[in-house]
Amino acid sequence: MAMLEVKGINKKFGKIEVLKGIDFELNKGEVLSIIGSSGSGKTTLLRCMTFLETAEKGKVFVDGNCVFDADEQKRVGSSELRKRQLNFGLVFQNFNLFPQYTVLDNVCLAPKLLAKDRPDFRVSKKEIYAEIEENAKKLIERVGMTPRIDMYPCQLSGGQQQRVAIARALALNPKILCFDEPTSALDPELTGEVLKVIRSLKDGDCTMVIVTHEMNFAHEVSDKIIFMDEGVIAEQGTPDILDNPKTERLSAFLNAFSQ
Amino acid sequence: MKRILALVMAILMMSALFVGCTNTTTATQDEAPASDLQYIIDKGTLVVGITDYAPMNYLDDNGEWTGFDTEFAQAVAAQLGVEVEFVEINWDNKFLELDSKSIDCIWNGMTITEEATLNASVSNPYVENAQVVVMTADNAAKYTAVEDIAELSFAAEAGSAGEAVIAENNWANYTAVKAQSDALLEVASGSSDACVIDITMANAMTGEGTSYENLTQAFKLNTEQYGIACRKDSDLTAKINEIMSGLIGNGTLEALAQKYELALVK
Amino acid sequence: MFWEVTLNLLKGFGTTCELFALTLVFALPLGLIISFGSMSKFKPLKAVCKVFVWCIRGTPLMLQMIVIYYGPGLVGQWAQGIDNPSMIITWLAGWTVFDRFIAVLVAFVINYACYFSEIYRGGIEGIPVGQREAGQVLGMKKSQLFFKVTLLQVIKRIVPPMSNEIITLVKDTSLARIIAVYEIIYAGERFIKAEGLIWPLFYTGAFYLIFCGVLTLLFGFIEKKLDYFRS
Repeated sequence: MAMLEVKGINKKFGKIEVLKGIDFELNKGEVLSIIGSSGSGKTTLLRCMTFLETAEKGKVFVDGNCVFDADEQKRVGSSELRKRQLNFGLVFQNFNLFPQYTVLDNVCLAPKLLAKDRPDFRVSKKEIYAEIEENAKKLIERVGMTPRIDMYPCQLSGGQQQRVAIARALALNPKILCFDEPTSALDPELTGEVLKVIRSLKDGDCTMVIVTHEMNFAHEVSDKIIFMDEGVIAEQGTPDILDNPKTERLSAFLNAFSQ
Repeated sequence: MKRILALVMAILMMSALFVGCTNTTTATQDEAPASDLQYIIDKGTLVVGITDYAPMNYLDDNGEWTGFDTEFAQAVAAQLGVEVEFVEINWDNKFLELDSKSIDCIWNGMTITEEATLNASVSNPYVENAQVVVMTADNAAKYTAVEDIAELSFAAEAGSAGEAVIAENNWANYTAVKAQSDALLEVASGSSDACVIDITMANAMTGEGTSYENLTQAFKLNTEQYGIACRKDSDLTAKINEIMSGLIGNGTLEALAQKYELALVK
Repeated sequence: MFWEVTLNLLKGFGTTCELFALTLVFALPLGLIISFGSMSKFKPLKAVCKVFVWCIRGTPLMLQMIVIYYGPGLVGQWAQGIDNPSMIITWLAGWTVFDRFIAVLVAFVINYACYFSEIYRGGIEGIPVGQREAGQVLGMKKSQLFFKVTLLQVIKRIVPPMSNEIITLVKDTSLARIIAVYEIIYAGERFIKAEGLIWPLFYTGAFYLIFCGVLTLLFGFIEKKLDYFRS
């Protein structure tokens, strides 16, 4: 069964239809790259999946459970909504780290807040927090930020901030990790370190959806590629489609890109 | 949209109500208002608005209010059968204080002016304050208008209100002396033709039965009369006037005036 | 004489400090409530808050004090003159003036809450939208998002304008004497009337200077404390 199933997503901003019925599936442990020119709707698709935007039509299933149904969305309570949201992790283009917290606290904050809902929180608060911090340190180690664990975001480079943001997203153990152009805001010499971290996550069996402009990276890391154009999926398939595009629009896009 | 409509309706209704009320006031204004005097007697205190202004109202060494108006108000309140409470106010807002009932009367050496009579119901004048020109009775008979005396030589106490009056009138031939009594002496001895002093002093020292029997008050300058202000249309004013004439009749007020060196209105 | 004047001025300064402190205690939270109201998605509430802030910021504090202190008494007096047994009129006829200090305090709290609300609003709206989205994606509740993520960043942003406003408040307290509340300027002016001394009035300036100096140091300290991060 597919880990992620997206069915007929439609989204309008005012009168402009940004997404015109998006359908795709993704299996557990697979990496999906969404490519396309700006304005094609790829970021909006990601934001609809992660509930930052609400789609007007369509459904989303994770692991066979319906997490989003446009027709029922208004009836879902806020706590249920938050629970469903946790199926997804999201790494932003602009990192969006919390500036007043250290690297460690950025990673620990959300898990600690969630732990307050656990029935055994009052009894074993110390143990729970220790466990969360232990886990956070492992994640920070994994993204190679251990030497800067006590620094504040303003003391870090963009690439370092993005690596912390990845650790922060992983701390909640999402079933699907989404990246919204994770390297677009970085200087070229800093993109490598972030891509390296994402690549290492693939080996860790993470299901990922990546919106990106890095064609070479997408080719190398993806199991599946979706090319979006004017709110529809114009072409999808294995990374092979980047070498042998079937549609004219994709080949035009790739041509423009290589120049 | 419905909500906004409801809001607009509510505002309209409120203003209609307001206009309605205003109309009722004009309709009923001619009818007798509730008795202000009764209101004061019912609450048992007469709240008097004052400022720190010697010798009318000022704090003594124990921090208690004293002064002419203080004792006067206490005497009136005693006859009304109520306690008296002195409240310091901002003089600029005195009529607002009165109308909003935060005080019941203004009783603080208030000069009776058009402003006062327009905004409040003012009692009969009780104390007079003026600068007077004193000269020999013979001289006084010669002059009928203030304009005519400019050529005379004058004396006044240095730094006094009388000196200010002389300066205002540009009376050039002027001698400054050390005390008001010295100014009188100047005139009595003939070294000056006239002097300008407080009416209190003049009342006490000139005329029949005083040390300067041949001197007389020729002109009053800058005359002010003090009155007590009550709320407009208040029946308290009449009551205060009634009590005041009693206090004048039995000499209480005259004794107070002498104590604080003031001149009652004659 | 110097000590007598100082003691008297200190008495007035006590009222000044009391007014200052109580205004902050009530206006700081009230301002937050008003700012939430004026950012509300519920249009009528938003409109009411905006109009209220406009009225308060658009009129002098002095006038507001006069209205709040004398207003109820004047309305009561007016209503008593009406021969109309309607419920509202009877109710209005019962209106009397507040205590002077309470009236001044109410006027100050309302006035400053409105100014604070605009500063808060600027601070909150200035936080990048990404911060909210990051918290949302991490499953935070709205309250957690506000207290754990937004609040400190807002505080950092509003400290400079707030320190300005609060120092203005110190000096605005002198307006209280308009309705005869005995604060420090009033205490100083009294020496002119009662004793013919002018210097006590100028001497009050020293009290204000010291008070504002302490506040300036305090705000400098807070700014420095929040210097460890940049938002």
